[in-house]
Amino acid sequence: MAFLERSTKNTENRYWYPEENTFPVSNRYTTGVAGQRFFGELKDNARITGTRCHSCQVTFVPARMFCERCFARLDDWLDVGSEGTVFSYTVAYVNRDGSAKPEPAIIAAVRVADGILVHRLLGCNAGEVTIGMKVQAVFRPEAERTGSILDISHFRPV
Amino acid sequence: MRKVAVIGAGMTKFVRRALETPKELSFEATKAALDSCGLRLEDIECVAHGSAPDAFDGVHQKGEYLADGCGGWNKPTMRVFVGGATGVHAIIHGWYHVASGMFDTCLVVCEEKMSNAMPHAQGFFLTIFDHTTERALQPNLLWIFALEKNRYMQRYGYTKEDMALVAVKNKNQGLKHPASQFKDPVTLEDILNSEVMAYPVNRLDVSPVSDGAAAVVLASEKVAKRLTDKPVWVEGVGWSLDTAYWGTRDLYYPRYTEHAARMAYKMAGIREPHKQINIAEPYDPFGYKALHHMEGLLLSPRGKTVQLLRDGYFDMDGNLPMCPSGGLLGVGNPIAAAGMMKICELFWQLRGEAGERQVPGNPKLGVAQAWGDLMQVSSVVVMGS
Repeated sequence: MAFLERSTKNTENRYWYPEENTFPVSNRYTTGVAGQRFFGELKDNARITGTRCHSCQVTFVPARMFCERCFARLDDWLDVGSEGTVFSYTVAYVNRDGSAKPEPAIIAAVRVADGILVHRLLGCNAGEVTIGMKVQAVFRPEAERTGSILDISHFRPV
Repeated sequence: MRKVAVIGAGMTKFVRRALETPKELSFEATKAALDSCGLRLEDIECVAHGSAPDAFDGVHQKGEYLADGCGGWNKPTMRVFVGGATGVHAIIHGWYHVASGMFDTCLVVCEEKMSNAMPHAQGFFLTIFDHTTERALQPNLLWIFALEKNRYMQRYGYTKEDMALVAVKNKNQGLKHPASQFKDPVTLEDILNSEVMAYPVNRLDVSPVSDGAAAVVLASEKVAKRLTDKPVWVEGVGWSLDTAYWGTRDLYYPRYTEHAARMAYKMAGIREPHKQINIAEPYDPFGYKALHHMEGLLLSPRGKTVQLLRDGYFDMDGNLPMCPSGGLLGVGNPIAAAGMMKICELFWQLRGEAGERQVPGNPKLGVAQAWGDLMQVSSVVVMGS
């Protein structure tokens, strides 16, 4: 084996963005049958929705079209409210390129009904976050909402 | 090895651009397959699914991503892919799960969502070529098909019109398939007058870009006989891979297809395939490929295939009906799902449930084949009622 580059320190490893190998295509995704309605509710009504599987007793958030457990088609849509609890969290100190963040960022997995929304947590510092704390979604103003998960600007402690 | 039966089949409509996510497409096909044999997800012991490169759906580790849509939640789930051949290869993959004695029921699900690619899925093929010797010329997939097609035509004296007959036949046959992407008939002139993309390939010689999913349910002999009085047996399986140095092959003859076919025929106890096989579903992403593959499948003598086609030998009421589904040209080409669509077609045909497309004469034995990777792999499955 021959080495073209040798690095023995992780901190010296670089991201690799060779321009000549850039992919010439990108992706344009669909939100899907359930996603269309879920993100429509976020955008138009600032409402978080889930779908309920009555035989499995599970409310999926974000809403899904089918239950993965029993394969029922789900059409019972519920407004699950804008509050949840911190299921787990992390505090990010470095950016994706390895540089230090000016302020650490708290990323929380927020339990809403039987589902999870991963989102930013603002309004408290890293030392104040606890698993199980109650948090609330903060929506962007209607004019700024586009039908994206970022229509929820962030979560904040209740 | 135990006997394995197909006991149910289902598919989505093939469309240009579906709202459904890849998971949702998979769910629709899987649900339809389960419903067709009256099973529930809890009756399924394992999932063997197939989907071509991750790039099409735009999700890396697509197998894991798709698993819940394929019924794989909390079950032994395994994905296989060999490019375009995935759809037929997936049932071989599922067959192993049951034939081995490990499982009595297995879902086989194939899905592809090509429309996510922007501006076109062709872009994702650019990096399949050798990065040093070929990519500098900026090849695209059409080039290699054009080179192969030209070589095939030159070898046997076939014309562009000869090759276009396949597109006319399959596209018009596909109109009878409820899942088809198309609604308008085409004429030979339409094919020949369509835009030349890379000589000798015109736009309508090529299958469309599609979104879709297809699935079957496999069962062991014991379970199959309990659930249905019309099981369709997987009689033989075969596959073979040629070199990735595609330029060094005999482009006019797919030897790897012959190897795969011989393996499947041997297992199925077939000695004279052209006499014993009642229905052929050769892979037809391009018109000429169906003929090319009929030769590789030993279903047509080399160099005589166009004459047989013109004589009606491959018509629905001919000696050996070819692509009764309408094929990729006539139904659509969501890569892995297109191959699985051929398996579904054999299932319906051999049970006499193909409706308007039903091949007359109570067919007993069919063969499906798909082809992929860098024009180098064939997967072949023989099914019998």
